[in-house]
Amino acid sequence: MKKRVVFLFVCVILTLGLTLAGCTPAPTDTAADTEPEVVKVGWIGSLTGDQAVWGTCELNTVKMLFDDINADGGLLGKQIEVIGYDTRGDATEAVNAVRRLTSQDKAVAVIGPNASGQAISISSVLEEMQVPDIATVATNPKVTIGEDGSIKPFNFRVCFIDPYQGAVAAGYAYDILGFRKAAVLYDVADDYSQGLTEFFEKYFIEKGGQIVAKEAFKFGDVDFRPQLSKIKDAGPEVIFMPYFFKEVALSSEQARQLGIDAVLMGGDGWPSEVLLEMAKDYVEGSYFVNHLDFDDPDVQDFKAAYTAKYNLPVELNGYLAYDAVQLLVHAIEKANSFDPVEIKDALETAQVKGITGQINISRETHNPEGKDAAIIKIVDGGYVFQQKYSAQ
Amino acid sequence: MDWFYIKGILILSGINLMAVLGLSLLTGFTGLFSFGHAGFMAIGAYVTAMGTIKLGLPFVPALLLGATGAAMASFFIGRLTLNLKGDYFCIATLGFGEAIRLILDNVQYFGGARGWPGIPVSTNLTTVVILDIIGIAVLANLIRSRHGRNFKAIREEEMASQTIGINVFRYKMTALMISAAYAGIAGGLLGHYLGFLQPKMFQFVKSTELTITVIFGGLGSISGSVIGALVLTSLPELLRTFAIWRLVVYGAAVVFIMITRPQGLMGGYEITPTNIKKLFSRLPGSVGKKQAVGGDKK
Amino acid sequence: MSGFFQQLINGLSIGSVYALMAVGYSLVYSIMNFSNFAHGGVIMIGAYIGFFAMTAFEMPFAVAFCLAAFGTGLLAVVIERVAYSPLRKRNAPFLYFIISAMGVSIFLENIIIASPIGPTFRTYPRVFGTTPFIVAGVNIGRLDVMMFVISAVSLALLIFIIEKTRTGMGIRASAYNLRASALMGVNTDRIILIVFGLGGLLAGIAGILFGMKYTVYPQIGNITLKSFIAAVFGGLGSLPGAVIGSILLGIIETFTSGYLSSQFRDLIAFVLLIFILVIRPRGLMGKTTEDKA
Repeated sequence: MKKRVVFLFVCVILTLGLTLAGCTPAPTDTAADTEPEVVKVGWIGSLTGDQAVWGTCELNTVKMLFDDINADGGLLGKQIEVIGYDTRGDATEAVNAVRRLTSQDKAVAVIGPNASGQAISISSVLEEMQVPDIATVATNPKVTIGEDGSIKPFNFRVCFIDPYQGAVAAGYAYDILGFRKAAVLYDVADDYSQGLTEFFEKYFIEKGGQIVAKEAFKFGDVDFRPQLSKIKDAGPEVIFMPYFFKEVALSSEQARQLGIDAVLMGGDGWPSEVLLEMAKDYVEGSYFVNHLDFDDPDVQDFKAAYTAKYNLPVELNGYLAYDAVQLLVHAIEKANSFDPVEIKDALETAQVKGITGQINISRETHNPEGKDAAIIKIVDGGYVFQQKYSAQ
Repeated sequence: MDWFYIKGILILSGINLMAVLGLSLLTGFTGLFSFGHAGFMAIGAYVTAMGTIKLGLPFVPALLLGATGAAMASFFIGRLTLNLKGDYFCIATLGFGEAIRLILDNVQYFGGARGWPGIPVSTNLTTVVILDIIGIAVLANLIRSRHGRNFKAIREEEMASQTIGINVFRYKMTALMISAAYAGIAGGLLGHYLGFLQPKMFQFVKSTELTITVIFGGLGSISGSVIGALVLTSLPELLRTFAIWRLVVYGAAVVFIMITRPQGLMGGYEITPTNIKKLFSRLPGSVGKKQAVGGDKK
Repeated sequence: MSGFFQQLINGLSIGSVYALMAVGYSLVYSIMNFSNFAHGGVIMIGAYIGFFAMTAFEMPFAVAFCLAAFGTGLLAVVIERVAYSPLRKRNAPFLYFIISAMGVSIFLENIIIASPIGPTFRTYPRVFGTTPFIVAGVNIGRLDVMMFVISAVSLALLIFIIEKTRTGMGIRASAYNLRASALMGVNTDRIILIVFGLGGLLAGIAGILFGMKYTVYPQIGNITLKSFIAAVFGGLGSLPGAVIGSILLGIIETFTSGYLSSQFRDLIAFVLLIFILVIRPRGLMGKTTEDKA
């Protein structure tokens, strides 16, 4: 009996203690010193889970950039504090994180996430709290446009969308590389992969090409040989692999081992140092659609600074996070205020030259319209920029 | 702490509580362990969304529709699996839970793996609280009745229960269907809180979380489930600063609880006015007689 | 026709991966009557041990292999002591074991993520060469042959231990009836430790081979759900059953994917699980379980 009372007592104390601990402000990451006015900017994304590598890169980038801004005297004279929360790749967590950022932490804007599922689920919270969000690599069109076709007032993004990416891939494969027979292997459990597949197929067929095989796997699978054997039998010239680097590494290796020598092609889920580490021999000679040219001279300063500070290579997300920050800073300066609604208004017509290209936010779609895609080819174990390509 | 933020946590706790209540009936009171209840939540969620979006029903009738859908699915599943021995039933529910999710991944009518956006955000704190109270009341009355005693009898000693005339299969099926209905409502509430549904929200991990919550609160205790749901939903939020270590601590805590106090927080005890009075009258140093029901007597 | 044989080889290849993992599940189930969900986490640790042995310490494959196997054997024993034996001592119902096992598995997965090791994917150095054998138009990977050989040898050794040694007799007796064996003088505590150790050893082997064939990451444990289904399919508690169940599952999965639709690949595994539970719960070769009245 006594033991139970003690146990209950301890539990209650722990819970109270943790509640109180949770009420203290989150640890400051950037130098917010004696300056009385600190403005907070939020970030959400995956710090754990499969996309952790990318989420971590994004947060690092955002923090690094605001550190620099703060050192230079801050933005509109105020110091910026970055508060980042982990969403574990889960939509519910994303909603919780944004609720906390917008109400408790009083963030004036949120950067991220890098996944459409999370970006879509937070839109109602953003609207309720009237705080804008700039998604980094969320490519589903429904992030900024609702089911009924109306614009979601507080969602923005700096990346191109799946329909565009699919069209670019299809166009490049058909027009530039001259392929007529394509096969697709895609992840049926991932919205990004499904979206890209849908649009690649549509545009490739529209141009006159033929999809000779379309096979699916589920995220988490490591063995693609059943599907690849079927694809091999259909004899495609190019295999479109619109998913993420880990599965690309595995499937490309297995494809080569099965004796498939068709050209491989992918989307912006490919580029990562990890891909080259894992499978550089197998993806040799492959192409993918990217947001930028990694060797673009405009980009090198950032790359060097990031690697110097964090001792890690920059992932794709880093560049887009960089541009998201640029966009936000530009909007804040244009609005000359930290009021979230005014920032949102400024974002609607913001135009900024990012390291991933010219970003002109369209009022109708909140997307960067007319943004060029870059085609990258993997040559000798490195990413070699081919050309900029826009879909018609 | 900001009320808006707390409100969000309370709504989520309330949603989890609904599912946990149902599972509590099945696991805590009837002794059947399920690792697939996320599947029933998913069915409830999607059917409710279908109700509000495609059929234009108001929210609460749509929720009831979702609950019915989940209950019907559980009927079908129960017919197949309730005759299995304990741990095989577990495995079967695991299989069904995952199968439901995989099917939803492939059904494009519901958006498939890309999810179903644009669901009206109809869940608010009032709805959740009212539904939870109704849920608790219904459950409490059920437990206190003759049927409740029968459930507990089945949990304690199935063969003996059958011998004295309790239709074990029918009671198990009833418990399963009620728990599925509760889970279905919880799913519907979740979908209309996030405004978005994706099959991957209802994975095996979610089913495990629900079962762990029931055990944490204490098998055979409704108040335990309530406290368990509140604590286990809000704790990860409060510990946000320790993001990466959250799950490490969670895993270790689960093992720790199982080793030290598997009967959970309440250990079959209920928080009722009579019990509270008894608690206070017993506190001054005396060693009271054990009153808890359930726990690890097997 | 080469398509058919290629798919068959694919299926066998996948099946052999499942087999190594499934045997561990069945072994523990045969004695303890519960499904050790922590097995997946142990396999994952094995993959990491092997990886670091070969890269950071540059050991040859054979050494890394043994290190991984014994390392995980030890880990499995530790897990048993910490997470299961307290429950056993007080005769807790099997559900508690499962929950505890899940706690262990969550703990293992996330401690790797939280530690400096982190969530990035690691690739084993390619020790066996990458060009596959081509037999009659069918590609057979070198690593697959290696895996097949190692698995066969390990399983043969295991069966030898169980059938021919005294300890093995103790294991078989305990599997039949734990209490009675204890009464007959078998040191059941020690037997349990040995069984977990053996299971852990197999997990380590499975881990390092899996890591070599695919890649190393903290969520490897999730793959083992399929091998668990295979073990159930073949009959929990039966080692030959686990192997046969796994091979069959691998082949069925592959052919479903190849000839029906690849979308149903995972679904078929669960359909199979449900099917076998409804028709014949003890699996293909499992022991008949009686209700403990």
